[in-house]
Amino acid sequence: MISLETITERIKEKPIPSMVAFQILKVIEDENHSLKDVVQLVENDASLTSEVLRMANSAAYYRGSEVTTINRAVLLMGEMMVVGVAICASSSIVYNSPLEGYDSKTGDMWEHSLRSAIASREITKFAKKSIPPGLAFTAGLLHDIGKSVISEFLVGRTEKMTELCETHQVHDYLEAEQLTIGTDHCTIGYELAKHWSLPEALCYAIRDHHHPQHASEEYKTLTYSVHLGDLIAMIGGSGTGADSLAYTVDNAYEGYFDITKEQLNKVLLIVENDFQTIKDILMSEGKA
Amino acid sequence: MKIMYVGVGEYAASKEKTIKTMALGSCVAIIVLDTKNRAVGMLHVALPESSINKKRAAERPGMFADTGIPKLLDEMKKLGYTGEKKLIVKLAGGASIMDPNNTFNIGKRNILAVKKILWRFQLGAIAEDVGGSISRTVSVDINSGKVIISSPGRGDWEL
Repeated sequence: MISLETITERIKEKPIPSMVAFQILKVIEDENHSLKDVVQLVENDASLTSEVLRMANSAAYYRGSEVTTINRAVLLMGEMMVVGVAICASSSIVYNSPLEGYDSKTGDMWEHSLRSAIASREITKFAKKSIPPGLAFTAGLLHDIGKSVISEFLVGRTEKMTELCETHQVHDYLEAEQLTIGTDHCTIGYELAKHWSLPEALCYAIRDHHHPQHASEEYKTLTYSVHLGDLIAMIGGSGTGADSLAYTVDNAYEGYFDITKEQLNKVLLIVENDFQTIKDILMSEGKA
Repeated sequence: MKIMYVGVGEYAASKEKTIKTMALGSCVAIIVLDTKNRAVGMLHVALPESSINKKRAAERPGMFADTGIPKLLDEMKKLGYTGEKKLIVKLAGGASIMDPNNTFNIGKRNILAVKKILWRFQLGAIAEDVGGSISRTVSVDINSGKVIISSPGRGDWEL
């Protein structure tokens, strides 16, 4: 078996995303923040400024006149989208590499993360205890970062792992990972999140997203949001390859959320819709 | 080979091109073959009933089983399908996450709805690869009429 040290060594090699994304996140977690604070943070980062302006002027947002100020761009795109752009732009090695060990192609990880983020945000509307939707969005965006580390160690073992799941030798894909390499994408994702000095809430949401019952009471609603958001993305057809759908719903979510089958269907529609909008933006960018 | 891709909530029919849809989770692909006219068709539905969002159903009828199936049949009619010789129907997808309480079992509800609507048009599937907890990509070959399913980490097989 591969040693855990070999895997954790790889964590140190993953570039740390730009801190500005997390600074913006911290600011918008406070409901009383002002737009000016966000704008200032973006303006302090030259590459993010150009990326945000480029996006605001793409076909999806274009409203007949060129957007030249960050102030207008943030108003147009929404703050969460700006955070998404910042995280993605600064950690493309995590999001835009194929996860070979999961038999997953380039772009799958980004699509799954984005859909999970949208779904995690939507699901907070049904939470019994309110949490910032922006926090759930970001946790959703980051929940699978561990896969970018362990993927290479799973190469050549994928078929055996799917077989383990289908013959019910393991309970879910997480267990197949543990059996194969002695650890899993949640544990390694947590280590990577700590290495990146992410806020505690995000670290724990990443660690516990498949077993939210293990989260501390303080982070339960957030962790369940990500748990459900992740599953909703997979149900909608967006996973990261071989492990898609090979997980179990933790039904204790009912203690933290009130959601009916009908409402769930509506969430699926919103996720599909919002995702397509964002995808169109990215595609129109590519053509530009 | 010419391939036409069908996205979520989309449908297509052709006499020249292979039709393919990617990564079905709980969504269902309805694949139809008109042997008389050598035409194939496919619909990728996401949800059972259009009643949950009429506006969305008007914009994209293929999202829902009840509004999508009639649209797919219309497309087949444009290519000569008359109903005289029944279409061959195959189904794929409708997977689910493991959920003891069934709330998240949208796949199963999609399959049921699709079958109900097909029945309304006096159609039934002769083959299906549905359910379970796997993601499926499916294509129907215009030359051979073969329906091929693939899934990451599991290779591909014929339906």
